[in-house]
Amino acid sequence: MTDTRIPGKTYYEIGQRPQEITLKVDGAKPLHRHRLPFTRRHLLKWRSRLNPKTLRQERMLADKKPLWWTLALGLLLVSAPFLSNSALTVAAVFCMFSAINVLWTLIIGTAGIFSLATLAVVGVGAYASAALNVYLGLPWPLMFVAGGVAGLVMGALLALPSTRLDGLYYALLTMGVAEICRVFVQQLKPLTPMNGSINNVQGFIPADWALQRPGLLLGFAGAFVLLLLALLTFRIVNSERLGMLLQTAREEEAYAEAIGIDYRRARMQVFLISSAGLGVTGAFYAQYFGSISPQVFSLDQLMVLFAMIVIGGLGRAEGAVIGTALVVLIDKGLLDLGPLRILLVAAIMLAVTLTTNNGLTGIREQFRGFRRRRQSEARARRTEKGGEVMPEEAIDINDKQAIYYRRFDKRLRDRLKALVTPDVIEEHRQKPLGQHSDALSRLLNYFRRGEVADKYAIIRQAGNFHSYKIVAFSGVRGAPPRLVDDRIYTDINEAYHAVFLLRVNDLMES
Amino acid sequence: MDMSTLLIYGLSLAAIYGLMAIGISLLWSSIGMINMAHGASFAVAGYAAFSVAELAKPLILATLGKSFAGTVAMAGLCLSAGALTGAMMGALIYLLAFLPIHDKPNFAVRSLIVTLAINLATVQLLLWFFGPKQRNLPKIFGLGKVEFLGLSARYDQIGTILGTAVILGLLLFWLKVSRKGLEIRAMMQNPEGAVLSGISVRWTALPVTMLTGALAGLAAVLLSQSIFVSPTSGAMPLIKGLTISLLGGLGSVPGAVFGAVIIGFLEAVIGAVPWLGQRYVLFGTFLFIIAVLVIRPRGIGGLLDKARK
Repeated sequence: MTDTRIPGKTYYEIGQRPQEITLKVDGAKPLHRHRLPFTRRHLLKWRSRLNPKTLRQERMLADKKPLWWTLALGLLLVSAPFLSNSALTVAAVFCMFSAINVLWTLIIGTAGIFSLATLAVVGVGAYASAALNVYLGLPWPLMFVAGGVAGLVMGALLALPSTRLDGLYYALLTMGVAEICRVFVQQLKPLTPMNGSINNVQGFIPADWALQRPGLLLGFAGAFVLLLLALLTFRIVNSERLGMLLQTAREEEAYAEAIGIDYRRARMQVFLISSAGLGVTGAFYAQYFGSISPQVFSLDQLMVLFAMIVIGGLGRAEGAVIGTALVVLIDKGLLDLGPLRILLVAAIMLAVTLTTNNGLTGIREQFRGFRRRRQSEARARRTEKGGEVMPEEAIDINDKQAIYYRRFDKRLRDRLKALVTPDVIEEHRQKPLGQHSDALSRLLNYFRRGEVADKYAIIRQAGNFHSYKIVAFSGVRGAPPRLVDDRIYTDINEAYHAVFLLRVNDLMES
Repeated sequence: MDMSTLLIYGLSLAAIYGLMAIGISLLWSSIGMINMAHGASFAVAGYAAFSVAELAKPLILATLGKSFAGTVAMAGLCLSAGALTGAMMGALIYLLAFLPIHDKPNFAVRSLIVTLAINLATVQLLLWFFGPKQRNLPKIFGLGKVEFLGLSARYDQIGTILGTAVILGLLLFWLKVSRKGLEIRAMMQNPEGAVLSGISVRWTALPVTMLTGALAGLAAVLLSQSIFVSPTSGAMPLIKGLTISLLGGLGSVPGAVFGAVIIGFLEAVIGAVPWLGQRYVLFGTFLFIIAVLVIRPRGIGGLLDKARK
């Protein structure tokens, strides 16, 4: 297709997304899309569409998030070997907390269960696996299994009352569970001799590598893999069958139940899966630090984690990761600042929650909503003024003829308005029918051409000669005309003139 | 520990927890906000009372001496400083956590996070200005014991119990008879209906936040008669208040009072049983609360219908 643009003339891009990434479609080649092995999923969400402006077929990337994920995680992985030892620890802690938060997001966002026992489950997994390792000599690969099983059992215990209690009451109950775990662990003297903590846990990091460079690198690598696994779990649970069922249930519970979705069961399943994942994370936690202390059950730690996911945006994996990155970077990365960094975290929490509706990842949507509102306001203002179609509105109207007609009509009305003078009105008053001046005939011609909805009619009152009333058509078939006012005209010419005045009035107001 | 000491100890604990719990409960049921900064109000009020007492001590000693009038003046000063500072903290919470976002989406979660941030920042600032050292307030009820009907009670315990009873009585009376109280009660019953009847959310929320802050401040001054003031001293009363208000059923003042009495006695009993001791107090109370909530999902006095989710 040749370019029809006139050289030298300035063209403006219109529409909301002129810079969208698109691929040209080669009609000669068959469409080939790679699938992930053993699944029916594609790596990227390419969508074919007809571009309504260029009238060409194109392929558009409908979901660019995988690209951003790859970029961010790839950058983290590539930059890890160049980080200092302390930064490497911060990165590993970030990965671990992100994994916890992603799984927690699954519970709060996908399952819609407001549980605050996340760290309790992590702690139980950690304690169970650490105790098995230290006292029974369980090898470290099996610790993950032990942690997962412990998490699952804990999750099952916690899941029982969740169907009965709602919202806040359940949150409190889970908070109480964390406190019970803390006290219980501290009192379990034979298992936890050191003031409630278990030390010297053997993990995937060899003992002689501990706190050395290779050990730290290995620790980071492990935490990174853990984060990837958590994200994979999130993807599989949230965007596949279970997540779809629960999304329906979130919007309308009664409806979901009516079409046969057992959303309670689905919620339980998500809760159990995430709890098992959290247990595995706990086992990793114990291995990474080589010890586990009751600090993991503390309310402060839990609230900081909750602040992370709220800052990032509740219910989204990227929100959990971004929020964690921000808070961990300040809390653990800027240790030089001392107590000031807690104030900084508090200030960020304040600023983010006060300005955004759903955390940092919700900003985009919030901005779009704001822009859409502004646009429709402006559109309403313009429509009031002239009725001409503006470029932004034009892309929403499929019938392009309508756009040109409205533009023509607007200009015509502008010209006709200039023709309305006292002389013309006086001329019509004296002689409503018959030959008229040029200006008056143009006006009357325009009025006659109008749509029925804009028109008026004269009704002769039954039983009376020379008694007329004016009605306005509804423009809707079956809906009767409405009386304009009660005034009775005794002269037909007077009535003609009254209709003319009404139409002139409408014209001047449009 | 004999039975009578236990009774008085339980009642004095119940009094303080009740003050905290009613504040949290009132705030949640009338404006739908979980105030995590309630503990911060508590700590700030404690420090304010401490500072005022330190400033005024020489003056009172010089004018009134170690007389009854001096103690009364000191008590009035401490209580009013605590209540005023608490009310000011309440106003701050109103300005930060309520006013900007009360008509925006996700208000409940967002206000929770904002109050959490206020709590974090306040505790840090207190640590910064006053240091981690524990301070103690002047004994506003004096030192000593009284024997009555075979019960032996310290002055501060009696003062706490009676003071709380008076404050709660006044609060309930005010809620019952005043125009503002009527508006607050309407807000608690049905926020939407209240708004439709012309009750302003903003002008109801301000007195509620200030009032609950003042309650936290009074609780701080009263509790500091038995324990010390420290930057993190607000955490425990906050947790206790939160759990008791949920146990009693959010929005139910009698429920909160009842819950506070139960928990106060439970704590006193668990603390007194030799083979359990003080370290099992939280454990026991939480187990009890969980048991109650599983049986009665909306707490003791909570309505079973959905007044406010």
